Formats: sequence, structure tokens, C-alpha cells
Amino acid sequence: MKNLIFALSVMLLGSGVAVAQDHSQHNHHDHKNHTTFKAEPVNKEHSIYHLDGEWQAHTGESLTLANFQGQPVVISMIYGSCTTACPVLVNDARRIFEALPEAYKQEVKLVMVSFDEDRDTPAALAEYAKKYNLGDDVWTFLHGDDNNIRALATLLGVRYRKRSDGDFDHSNLVTVLDVHGRVVERVEGLNRPVEDAVNALVKIIDENHLLHH
Amino acid sequence: MYKWLSVLSMVVAAQAAAEPVIIPAGEYKPAVLLDETVEVVVMPAFKLDAAPVTYAQYLEFVSENEKWQRDNIAAIFHDGNYLKSWPGNEELPAGFESKAVTQVSWFAARAYCDAQSGRLPTLDEWEYASNYYLQQQNLSDKEYAQMLFARNSNPTAYSKQDVDANIEHLEYMHNRVNEWVEDYQLLLTNGDNNDLLAGSCGDSARFMADFGDASYATFFRYQSRSNYRPQSTTSTLGFRCAYDMEK
Repeated sequence: MKNLIFALSVMLLGSGVAVAQDHSQHNHHDHKNHTTFKAEPVNKEHSIYHLDGEWQAHTGESLTLANFQGQPVVISMIYGSCTTACPVLVNDARRIFEALPEAYKQEVKLVMVSFDEDRDTPAALAEYAKKYNLGDDVWTFLHGDDNNIRALATLLGVRYRKRSDGDFDHSNLVTVLDVHGRVVERVEGLNRPVEDAVNALVKIIDENHLLHH
Repeated sequence: MYKWLSVLSMVVAAQAAAEPVIIPAGEYKPAVLLDETVEVVVMPAFKLDAAPVTYAQYLEFVSENEKWQRDNIAAIFHDGNYLKSWPGNEELPAGFESKAVTQVSWFAARAYCDAQSGRLPTLDEWEYASNYYLQQQNLSDKEYAQMLFARNSNPTAYSKQDVDANIEHLEYMHNRVNEWVEDYQLLLTNGDNNDLLAGSCGDSARFMADFGDASYATFFRYQSRSNYRPQSTTSTLGFRCAYDMEK
């Protein structure tokens, strides 16, 4: 069983396809790989911007989530030393962005929030952002304390757990927030089609007449 | 006269803020294994409220924090029943001062503890403290199981018993209310859609470390905790706060 999973992983990696790390079927004794938690259902009627904790952006700036109010946001939770699912989540956010009609791109912010208070300092996140060649006007990588991370993850429905080796088991989820910080679209899993998220973003921008501003 | 009154009120105030209990460092074997490779968890010392937070204490908190008052709480932080039994924003239901506060969501419980410079205990901390409590009280596994099943046979009656907020040792771990923990969501159930460690009945049972007298009771406790959502505000769910040791 282990060997089969390993072989499959190698095949998938080799073919450039992200390994979704879906271990729901595999036997419970193989904990070498990370566990993917299924995302929780969330309340879609209310703004997550009620959370008033402070975060540090990879640019060094301090902010609260309400700073993102007024434009649609694509938000996901990752950690920097994660080499499996997280780069795929970052890329999934980028794929959504790149699939937007050109004029719409400047109206969207991509926010990646780290689970890892200890290792993902703003400086470490700045390195991460640089490595992925992501412009500061579009991307914000956020460092926060455990308290704020737990609260945000809970509102987004992202389940996670810090493992004894310092890494994290977590849900793979990309969420689209409207101008008020309400959840309007959730893409669960890795390397999923982007259409629904793109359509949601375009709709938010159109309905709020953001292009005329 | 006034001088004596003010001294008296200081004494009363000091009593209201009873010192938390130090839970000494040690090892603990989780009853339900979240990580099968970790059978023994090494716990640093921390402090925990001796008793669950009472209505009187919670009233003090909402009096100072308007946004956590019944009519002001943001809708995203509760399920609609937050402090529903309170007649007013700063008015307790009659006779509830010394009972463990309930109808508080996970978000509200965290905000309360944050205001006391504390936090919710983690699941490991709470369970470790529970073991410590059972040892201190010299309760056998059987007695613990009986205690738990007695409460679960009528949880509303138990949650309405008074707690002594000034008690100096750990108390009421299993005979008043269920209690929020910071990372309770680790064992949330997804109905029939069971993923690894999601806390379905089958999962918890598979992950149980052993099957002694206490096991089924503990399994039952984990399962009832796993049904909460962060917005849940039931009448049998309260909390107490934890604090880091001073560095």
C-alpha cells in the first residue's frame, strides 16, 4: 500500500500534476506524508472582516483584514516551508488571477496567510514572495500570531493542526471574498478548475462598478 | 466607615479574580491519538482557571466590552442564541451569578480569555489537566466514568449547579458543563463524509489508545465536543481560561 502510494506520488509529480495528498483512503499507519483535512462549511452571510487582529505583510506593513475591504480578495492559507500542497495553492491563486480579463486584474488582491507564526516571519515571506516572482501590488503574504491564525482559519473553514515535526496538516482551500469580506466562492482541493472563482470575481467587480473608479 | 467599605470592596474584588491553578509539567498519554506516532505528549507547565467562568464574571467582561454584549455581537461570531437567556445586555438571568456561563460561542470564549490576558486551553492542555484533576481527587477510572455518564444523562441539570469561583484547586472538570478548547475543531465530524482524523465515531474509536474503564466515557466526551461549530451557543457548553507561565 505504502509503495503503491509512493509510486503514484512519483508518477504524479513526474507528470507535473500536483499531488492532492488525499489520504482519506490510505491506511492510518502511514503518517510520513501530510494529512489533508477536509474544509468545514462556513457562514457565507457575514463578513470575516469583523476579525480585528493585527497582521504583518511580507512588505513589513502592519494591517488588519479590514484593510482589504472595497475590493474582491482571493485568500488562502499556507506555510512557507511546505513543499507539497502550498506551492500548488499559491499557484492556484495565480491561475485564478491570470484567467481574469485583463482590465479586471488590477481590482483583485491575492492574500496568502501563513499558518506558521514561528518560521514565516515577514522577512521569510518576502523571500517566498520573491521566489514566486509575485508583485507586491497584487500579492500580500501575511504573518500573524497563533491566535489570529486560528480565528481566521475557523471563519474560512480551514482545518489545520501543527504536527510534532513543526509542519502542518491543513485543508487545501482557496476562497473568494466580496468587497465586504463575505465568502462568495470556495475552491477546495488542489489544481482545481478556476472558472467558478473567476466568474465570481468578475461578478463582484461588475456589480460594484469597480472598473469605473 | 467609607474607608472600611472600600477595603471590603477590594477584598471582594480580589476574590472575584481567583488565582488560576498551576498545572505542573509532565507527560500525558492522549486517550484519542491525533498522531499515531506520538503516544506520549510532553506538556510544559501552564495555568488554568480552577473553575469554569461564571455568569457574574462574564457580565463583568461584557460590561467592559460592548461589542460582546448580547445585542451587539457580530452575527458571524454566533449562531443566533448568544446569551439568549439574558434579559438585557448587562442583566443576568435571575439567580445565575454563580453558575458556569453558557450560550457562549468559541469566538466569545476566546475574546473573554484574551481580555484576562489568557487564552482557551488547547485540547491537549485540557485533557492533561483532566488527568491531573482525576489524580488529585483520587478518582478511579470507574468513578470518572460514572461521573461523566451521570452528567450526560441530564446535562441541563448539571450545568445549572453553582460553581465556587474562588476555589483554590482544580474543580468541576466533568460535572458542570462541557468546555471549549482552542483547537476543538480537530475532531469535528463531517457527518457520513469521514476523512482521516475528522472525528467521526469510527475514527475516534480507531484512534483510542486503550480500552479501559475510562475509555468509553472519554470517547463519548470527545464525540460530544466534536459536534460543536465555532458559532455554537448551547446551554451546556461553557469554558475556562488557560495562561502561560511567566517567562
